[in-house]
Amino acid sequence: MSEEPKSIFAQALKREIKRLLYQGQARYLLLTSLGIVFCYVFFLTLMAEGQPERLPIAIVDRDGSYLSRRLCHEINAMQGVQVVAVYNSHASARKAMQRQEIYAFLEIPKGTYNDVLSFTRPHLALYSNNAYLLSGALSYRSLATISKLASGAVQREVLRKKGYDENRIMGLIQPIELDTHLISNPTANYQPYVLTTMLPGMLGLSVLLLTVYMIGKERKDGTLRQWLGHNALPALLGKLAPYTLWFATLGVLGNIVLFGRSEEVAFLCGFELHGSFVLVALFTLLLVTAMQATGVFLAGIIPDAHLSTCFAAIYGTLAFTMSGFSYPVDNMPGALQALAQIFPLRHYYMAVSRITLFGCGLSMCWVQVCALLLFLLTGLVGTWRLTDSKTTYQQQ
Amino acid sequence: MNLLKDIWDIFVIEVRRVLHDKGVILIFFIATLIYPLIFGAIYKNELVRDLKVAVVDESRGEASRRFIHKLDATPEMRVDYHCCNMAEAKHLMQQRRIHGIVLFPRDYDSRLAQKETARVCLFCDMSSFLYYRSVLSATSAVLLDEMQEIQVERYGLAGITGESADELIQPIPFDDVKLYSPAGGFSSFLIPALLVLVVHQTLFLGIGILFGTTREDRRTLRVIPPHLRREGRTRVVAGRALAYLALYLPVVAVDLVLMPRLFGLPHIGRLGDLCLFLLPFMLATVFFCMTVCSFVRERDTGIVTCIFFSVVLLFLSGAIWPQCNMPAFWRLFSYLFPSTHGIQGFIRIGTMGATLDQVGFEYGMLWLQAVLYFVTCCLCLRAGKWFRIGAA
Repeated sequence: MSEEPKSIFAQALKREIKRLLYQGQARYLLLTSLGIVFCYVFFLTLMAEGQPERLPIAIVDRDGSYLSRRLCHEINAMQGVQVVAVYNSHASARKAMQRQEIYAFLEIPKGTYNDVLSFTRPHLALYSNNAYLLSGALSYRSLATISKLASGAVQREVLRKKGYDENRIMGLIQPIELDTHLISNPTANYQPYVLTTMLPGMLGLSVLLLTVYMIGKERKDGTLRQWLGHNALPALLGKLAPYTLWFATLGVLGNIVLFGRSEEVAFLCGFELHGSFVLVALFTLLLVTAMQATGVFLAGIIPDAHLSTCFAAIYGTLAFTMSGFSYPVDNMPGALQALAQIFPLRHYYMAVSRITLFGCGLSMCWVQVCALLLFLLTGLVGTWRLTDSKTTYQQQ
Repeated sequence: MNLLKDIWDIFVIEVRRVLHDKGVILIFFIATLIYPLIFGAIYKNELVRDLKVAVVDESRGEASRRFIHKLDATPEMRVDYHCCNMAEAKHLMQQRRIHGIVLFPRDYDSRLAQKETARVCLFCDMSSFLYYRSVLSATSAVLLDEMQEIQVERYGLAGITGESADELIQPIPFDDVKLYSPAGGFSSFLIPALLVLVVHQTLFLGIGILFGTTREDRRTLRVIPPHLRREGRTRVVAGRALAYLALYLPVVAVDLVLMPRLFGLPHIGRLGDLCLFLLPFMLATVFFCMTVCSFVRERDTGIVTCIFFSVVLLFLSGAIWPQCNMPAFWRLFSYLFPSTHGIQGFIRIGTMGATLDQVGFEYGMLWLQAVLYFVTCCLCLRAGKWFRIGAA
């Protein structure tokens, strides 16, 4: 006698809600949710500046002239860097760099000002710390800009004295100008790069771990059979449904924090969103379900509860790297490029970056929708394996 | 010699316990090897090369064509598409086939011919920091090169030639020296931090699993010899810590000393300094993990917590987001974790060749942590009797 799938679903749902309310299962849900909220608060406040500002740099002033002092002032007027020290020798600046007191320094050799006046091309030297990619690159850029501007200023002075008019001078100093458009992130804010993928990634990771853990617990407690009964799929769906709902809601709330804009509410970040918010929310829901399915798959094929958690942990953390938001996937070795496809976060990133940055609609990211739906199939495999192990339980 | 004997007993029990747990062996000896290798493979190519871009040449002149050829010749970029208009290029960008668009407006060539300032527009894909960086740096390099050529020509027409033209074009030239990782590769930047994090997190995971398992099995006191159950908790802590340290010696040697050499990462630091630095780091990490894991009630909760915090710890360490730009609260918070000082010290000694006194702050903090967490560790074990915490 097989029951209606609908009633099995309802039973499993009721059972899970009971477990959540009366048997202390809610504490795992609560802790995970707190973890996710912590991540949102942590990352959004950690990088509140958007782009690191006033990075400490130094000047090695061996000239001690009007020019070197002026350069120092000009550098301090830039937003990206601030001069925290002026040294007399290269060695002391380098040591300060190793002590992490500065990220870059500009060396002004002896006699620079004299050389400028007499037109004998003094050489400035610019040292930047490349061991720290972000801060090294940013402080380098600020110092390079200053050095170029200094050259331009000298040129302009000389040409003015030669009697050229301003228009011609500009044509001589700068024959071509670069007009840079940073699509949907005009200030090169570091947050949208990282957070629009990483925070949903954290959500996905917790969903995965929780799913594996929940199923592992059923197995450990020996309640697998009681739960799955004769028709496993509706029972599984019934158990997972409250979590899907809960985490999808959390995810959409997270999206609101990331993309919402309001004058009054301080915690909304207002990152650029050119496409539709509904579509982003849809992908968040798809990510949650795909991670749940992957969790069922892992818990299904690895019967040892401890081992499946270990595997989920390893797989889950790799997703951040393999999604390609920090280091492009097309730059990885070929085999790893293929491997990247087995991470739902990869498809989420591919779709959501399109929607947010370029305003793509569903027509441009239906491939990702299909890919994420395919992950649901792995969940079916997992369910089948679960029932399989259930029969072994019966035999025992 | 009761003291040494007790410590030795605990040491043996603990080593045996580790070697009997499949999960812990997987974490301690397999994961510590696999993770660095995977990361090494992922970031093997270091730099972004031949990034696909499109050009929209509305000017269709000689100068714009030369510019495009030069763009194509840069290592960073590859001009894959020549589009008729921006709409077409934009569509390619939406499909993510290209990561940048270079637009030459209709008047590009004519403006150059009139000795005026011409304009080039660059549109960058902002979905990854590396796309943006590569596209911008390649275009800027070509732009500078092209500018100099045009300047030489224009100054020549104005009657300024040869050396005096050079002097005028670049009156204050500058050399740029990129220290410690000249090519600015991604793996030289990130992998040292990841290596330290792998050591820190696997140790945490392993100890978490060990403590959690003991609690789950309700064998809380069985793994401690009877005469040490009331007194001598310090010996228990010391013996266990020694066991983990001994087991981790080869792991640390492989991960933090061998791996950077294997991957060809910058490693200019002195080995002696590095070893001296790693000693308090390992001590602090072991005691930190033992303290925190005392609160782990179940085997799997430890795993979940640990994994969850990996990414947070990486960002707290200051390897990605500079420490000086963190809000004060998070900066102080980061000082609680041995990984922060470990990563900072390891990058500075290993990659940047700092000496021990140049990482004095981190070194001191790690010793402080080692002492502090040793004490908390003993306290947790003692409190275990009353509060039902303090595993095993």
